[in-house]
Amino acid sequence: MSTRSPEDRVGLLQGTLDVLILRTLLFGPAHGHAIVKAIESSSEDVLQVEQGSLYPALHRLIKRGWISAEEGLSENNRRAKYYRLTARGRKQLQVETAKWEKLARAIARILKPASEEANS
Amino acid sequence: MLEHLDDDIRDHIEQETRDNIARGMPPEEARHAAIRKFGNITRVKEDTREVWRRVWLEQLLQDIRYGLRMLLRNPGFAAVVILTLALGMGMNTAVFSVVHTVLLRPLACPHPERLVWIAGYDANIKRDVADSPDFVYWRQHARSFTGMAAYGPQQAAMVTPKDAQQVSGMVVAGDFWSLTGARPALGRLFGPPEQDTVVLAWDLFENQFAADQHVVGKSVSVDGRSVTITGVLPKDFRFPFPMWWQSVEPRPVEAYFPLPAKDMAMGRIVNVVASLKPGVRAAQALVEINVLEKPAQESRPPQFIEPTAGLRVEPLAYKLTGAARPALFVLLAAGSFVLLIAVLNIANILLARATVRQREIAIRAAVGAGRARVIRQLLVESVVLSLIGGAGALVLARTALAILIRLSPNAAPRLQETSIDGSVLAFTLAVSIGTGILFSFGPALALWRTSLHDALKGGARTSASAAGLRLRGLLVSGELALAIVLLIGAGLMLKSFWRMHARPPGFAPESILTMQVRLAGPQYREQPAQEAYMRELLRRVESAPGVQAAGVSTWFLFESVRFPSDTSPTQRHTIRLNAASPGYLKALGIRLLRGRWLNGADSGGNAVLLNESMARQAFGAVDPVGRQISTPEPATVVGIVADLKYSQLDADPPAEIYLAYEQGPFFSGSSVAVRTAGDALPMAPAIRKLISGIDPTQPVYSVKTLEQALSDSIAPRRFNLFLLGTFAAVALLLALVGIYGVIAYAVAERTREIGVRMALGAQRREVVRMVVVEGMAMALAGMAAGLAGAWGLTNLMASLLYDVKADDPATFAAVAAALAATAMLACWVPALKAARVDPMVALRYE
Repeated sequence: MSTRSPEDRVGLLQGTLDVLILRTLLFGPAHGHAIVKAIESSSEDVLQVEQGSLYPALHRLIKRGWISAEEGLSENNRRAKYYRLTARGRKQLQVETAKWEKLARAIARILKPASEEANS
Repeated sequence: MLEHLDDDIRDHIEQETRDNIARGMPPEEARHAAIRKFGNITRVKEDTREVWRRVWLEQLLQDIRYGLRMLLRNPGFAAVVILTLALGMGMNTAVFSVVHTVLLRPLACPHPERLVWIAGYDANIKRDVADSPDFVYWRQHARSFTGMAAYGPQQAAMVTPKDAQQVSGMVVAGDFWSLTGARPALGRLFGPPEQDTVVLAWDLFENQFAADQHVVGKSVSVDGRSVTITGVLPKDFRFPFPMWWQSVEPRPVEAYFPLPAKDMAMGRIVNVVASLKPGVRAAQALVEINVLEKPAQESRPPQFIEPTAGLRVEPLAYKLTGAARPALFVLLAAGSFVLLIAVLNIANILLARATVRQREIAIRAAVGAGRARVIRQLLVESVVLSLIGGAGALVLARTALAILIRLSPNAAPRLQETSIDGSVLAFTLAVSIGTGILFSFGPALALWRTSLHDALKGGARTSASAAGLRLRGLLVSGELALAIVLLIGAGLMLKSFWRMHARPPGFAPESILTMQVRLAGPQYREQPAQEAYMRELLRRVESAPGVQAAGVSTWFLFESVRFPSDTSPTQRHTIRLNAASPGYLKALGIRLLRGRWLNGADSGGNAVLLNESMARQAFGAVDPVGRQISTPEPATVVGIVADLKYSQLDADPPAEIYLAYEQGPFFSGSSVAVRTAGDALPMAPAIRKLISGIDPTQPVYSVKTLEQALSDSIAPRRFNLFLLGTFAAVALLLALVGIYGVIAYAVAERTREIGVRMALGAQRREVVRMVVVEGMAMALAGMAAGLAGAWGLTNLMASLLYDVKADDPATFAAVAAALAATAMLACWVPALKAARVDPMVALRYE
């Protein structure tokens, strides 16, 4: 089981799953289950993906041409669908990442005083 | 993209389960945890599908908007395409709605699929028959049926409150009312044992009885007998069964009488319709009918010696439409040919535009539109166009149907019921969409092969246009191939018509007036009274101004006659006897070939005339004049007259024996023929009045010139010719527009090349020749293919032809020559334009 207690976990913000998928695929093609696992483990299990929501997101990305799907074999020799980042997806990831950093910085700046106040 | 979604989700959950087991969970719990973590599977699937659906719809709407904008920007192009489509599809829609009504829509009876027709074919009178004693026996003993009805035509003289009226009635017996599902609008329908009753059709009730409800239960005089009106049928009731006489006497049924019990027992030719029990097939019913045939014959009245041979039990729908079937299929095929030509034409126009639009499309592709997306855009544009065309087609079809029904309401059974209904709408919708997809193929293909780079670099004119032009040439060849098949079909039918209308010298049907009289009522029950009436009729008509000859005739059949030329003693024939007054043959213009005419001294019936066909059948090569023939009374042949088609244009004249009119059964109705000095039609009212003046209670009806009567006899053929002719004309027009368009476009494309050629010394004549030769190569290739196709296809319309072979070389040659000449003309016009190219202007233009 996970190493964190349920209270520590954070649900995903609307729209963030897409960029996380893109980021995960930057390391190379992966199949659906591997993508969720990677997201969860690389966030040290803070982020929790409702696994099912992965699929509409994957298809949304395919539709936009940011990732492509291809047939392949999984480690245990079964047919599996692999998702691969396209060139456009790579570009999009840069755009999205920059956007996120800006946003996160801005929000952090606004929230910082409040959290200090709450702690005191 | 979505096809493996289920597998993917299943794999996902399995992997999660395995992970959970690795973490130490028991398998069952591991699986549940995996599913829980995955979430609602159905919703995930729906959400995923939704992702694509929305795109698809959004893009479709976008494509439609874009397509409409493109059409509005090129209204001329859009108008040409929409009109072409409306024309092509409109004709198809019209023909389909006729086919749908006549062949596909079930009869308006309860359980129409169970109704069968029971009859044998009589080769002498060339139609299906059944005998009333058989009907009675079958109805009593056969177990295959839930009901059985007999019917036959019955002309009757009815004295209504308005006047004396010849009513075209129907005698019916058995379960007629339940088989037709008729319900009375007023009163009741008479039952099987009732006699001397009548049920009126609504029209007669309205026209002759002023729609007065009180006539129900009252009596009217019918053929001099008092008959009770038991009821009136609703306005929308149509007699639903086959009426062989419709082609001769196309009148709606005005009244229904019970079949007289006396006729039924004595034997009378009837038509029989029966309803099969559920689960019983027509073939099984036939077996039973054949088993019953022997006892049925033994129960027949003695004068009925000849049994009906070769009884058949077949679906009523088939019998009803059997004759119209091949014609309708030919028309349907012709309609699809026209549509195909229209599609080729539009594909052609679109191809030409595709070359122009290449740049626009290349730009769209360059900024990221995939080829599939661009092609889909083209597809949507085409379908939008063809849907608009389809709407036009519906309007056109409605008009065309109204005209057709007005022109020849009896050309096909149930034609008058034809309308544009749900199935027709669905048909047109399907055809529109299919057509749109079909004609976008060409341009899509051309685009697929286009190199983006070349298109952007080269501007509007590119190297791809040569390939495009080749493709367009191929399409035009295809159009001409289809057009020539249609033209040959129409040509063969036209020639049939010409053959049908071939008439011997001196035969002038437009100056011959024909009409029917029928003596009814107790005052004419005795032969002398009938003869007196006829003598008076002839005296009055012959002395009328402008009348050159007049006569009366009535024909009847006699069975089991032997011919002098018979070789086997068992041979028997049915002969057609025509009791005609001397003036009748002269009025029709029948020529005497040998011997003498009949005269007043021959009224005993022992001197007869034969027509050529009869002489050939009965005597072979021997000259019959002076010899004996059985009628069945022995009679001497005193003369031979020429064959003449005076009743049915599309059949050989029947073999006939003419004898004195005093020998005829006048009560069955007689034809009067009057030959006038000029056009007979203006004299019709006067002569009609003259005859009804003899006895106002006796109706005179079917007054028309022989020309009209003959023309009515081929109404279905005229209908077919009219439709096929129109199809061929439209096909020709479209094909010519196609060939003209391609040549004109090629000339425009090559303005510069032509300019160079002329600058280098080419003569104008040579330029014209070059262009025409190229165009004609295309046309001739198509025509050659079409001629080969027509050679096989015209066989399918053999039954629509008369006295013309389906591969008639003269027609093939004439049509090919005419089409080649017109195609030449279509090439000539752009060629002349090419020759007027000014080399200086052409070269500077680029």
